[in-house]
Amino acid sequence: MKALKLSVGFVSILWLQACISDDYIDDNIEPVLQIVSNIDTLEINTSFQIEYQYFNNIGQSETVEVIWTSTDPDIIDIDAAGLATAFQLGSAAIKAETTVDGVESSDVLNIAVGAFTTFEEEPAIIEGSIVTTSSYELEGDFTYESTADGVRLAFKENYEASTALPGLYVYLSNNNNSIANAFEIGKVETFSGVHDYEIPNVSLSDYSYIVYYCKPFNVKVGEGAF
Amino acid sequence: MKKLTVLFVVIAFSTHALFAGGPWLKPKGKGYYKLSEWWTVFDQHYTDTGLLDPNVTTGIFNTSLYAEHGIHKRLNLLVNATLFSRNYMNNVRSRTTDELIIPGEALNSVGDIDLGVKYGLSKPGSKIPISATLILGIPTGTPAGGTQNNLQTGDGEFNQILQIDAGSGFQLGKTSAYLSAYAGINNRTKGFSEEFRYGLEFGLGLLKNKLWISSKLNAIESFKNGFTAETVTSTSVFANNAEFTSLAFETNVFISKNFGVSANAAGAFRGEIIAAAPSYSVGVFYDLK
Repeated sequence: MKALKLSVGFVSILWLQACISDDYIDDNIEPVLQIVSNIDTLEINTSFQIEYQYFNNIGQSETVEVIWTSTDPDIIDIDAAGLATAFQLGSAAIKAETTVDGVESSDVLNIAVGAFTTFEEEPAIIEGSIVTTSSYELEGDFTYESTADGVRLAFKENYEASTALPGLYVYLSNNNNSIANAFEIGKVETFSGVHDYEIPNVSLSDYSYIVYYCKPFNVKVGEGAF
Repeated sequence: MKKLTVLFVVIAFSTHALFAGGPWLKPKGKGYYKLSEWWTVFDQHYTDTGLLDPNVTTGIFNTSLYAEHGIHKRLNLLVNATLFSRNYMNNVRSRTTDELIIPGEALNSVGDIDLGVKYGLSKPGSKIPISATLILGIPTGTPAGGTQNNLQTGDGEFNQILQIDAGSGFQLGKTSAYLSAYAGINNRTKGFSEEFRYGLEFGLGLLKNKLWISSKLNAIESFKNGFTAETVTSTSVFANNAEFTSLAFETNVFISKNFGVSANAAGAFRGEIIAAAPSYSVGVFYDLK
C-alpha cells in the first residue's frame, strides 16, 4: 500500500511536467523598405504619388514614417507625403528612408522627366529555387508570374519533396523563418515533378518567400526566395 | 503521433522478462500485474534519413496497466491497457515579439489496448523456455486530435503481433542471471507498414534476488510497404514507416514478497521517423507467485 501511495504521489508530480509551455522561434529578420511604384518617367510639370511598402523585423507589413528626398529637387522634388513633381527635363533619384527601433531601412528609385509619364514593366516571370532547411528532401526550380486575377507558382520537373511528412504545407511569407501572417497556399499533394498553384488576389510584390512547413511537427522544412 | 505510439508499445511490453513479457510463463492461477507511468518529452526527432531535426516540444504521458495471468500451465493471458494518455504540444511564440504564433494543444483520452495470449512451446521447467505470443492491438485511443489532427493517444489501427521468445536463467557465480531474446512480426492495417521486431535482454538478480537490474536492446524494422503522404491525403497516417534501435535499463525492487517497484529509462540511438529523446517509466507491480 505504501508503494502504491508513493507511486501515486510520484505520478502526480510527473503530471505537473505535462503542462503546455512555450517554444520560441528565431523569427527576427532585417526590416525592408521598398518603393513599389514602378514609374520610369514622369511627365514634366505633373505630379505622381510614390508608394512604399515596409516589412518590419518579423516580416509584417507596417505603416511607418518615411523621409522622402530627391538628389536634384530642381528636376524632381518630393514632399513629405511622397508626392513627386517634375519641374525640368533630366533625372533624379528618389530616396525613401525610415528608422524603426534604431534600424535604418531605405530604397532608391531613379525617375526621368520627359514628355509623357511611363512605367517600367514588371518582370513577366520570376525564377527561383526551393531548398531544404531540414533533413527532409525538398528541392526544385520554380517560376512565379502574374495572372489575370493573381499569381501562378509553377514547379519544374526537378522538384522533389519527401513523402515521409504527412502534413507538409506551402506558404507565401515575408519572413522565411515563420508562417505568422503568411498566406497558406495549401497542403502539398504533389511530391515529384511538374505542378503549379493558381493563387488569386495576390500580386508578385506581396511576398518575398515560399516556405514549406510541416504542421504536425510545427517546423519549417524548406524555403525559396523570390 | 505514430512514432510515439510505436515507442510506447515497445516500452510497455518491456516488463522484466523474468517476471513477465519474456519466454517464461506464469503457472496456472499465478500472475504478474503492473501499474506504471510512462512518459517522454522531446523537441527533436529522427527524420526519414536517420538524421536529427527539431520539432515543437511534444510530450506523451501514459498511465498503463499490464497484466499477465496463467490460465493453464502452458497458456497465459496478456493485457496491456493504456488507461489514460495525454499528448500535448507546446505553444510556438515569436522570440522577437513574444507573439503567439501557434497555440499549443493537448489531447487526453484512453489509449490503445493490447490483448494477447502466450503459449509455451517448450515443456514447463525447460532449461531454455520458448514461447509464442499473439498480441492484438485494439485501437481504443484517439488517432487524430487537436485542430491539426496531429495529436494522438492511439494509432487508430488494428494490428496483430506474432512473437517468439526464448531465454535461459543461469548462475554467474552466486548471482542469478538470465538472458532472453525475441523476434516477431507486426501485421498492421489501414495503410501502416508491417514491422519486424526483435530484442535482447540481460538481467542480474542481486541482494538475494530482491533487486533485479536489466539491460535491453529493442528494435523495429519497418517493411515500408504502407501508405505515404503521397498515397493518402488523410492525416491519420502520421509518420508511417517508423523504425529504431533502442537501449533500455530497468531496475525492479521487491519491497515485500510479492510487491515491488520498477523504474525504466530507454532511448533510441538510431531511428527513422521517431522521437529522439529518452523515455522513462516508473511503476508498481504485484508478482503473484
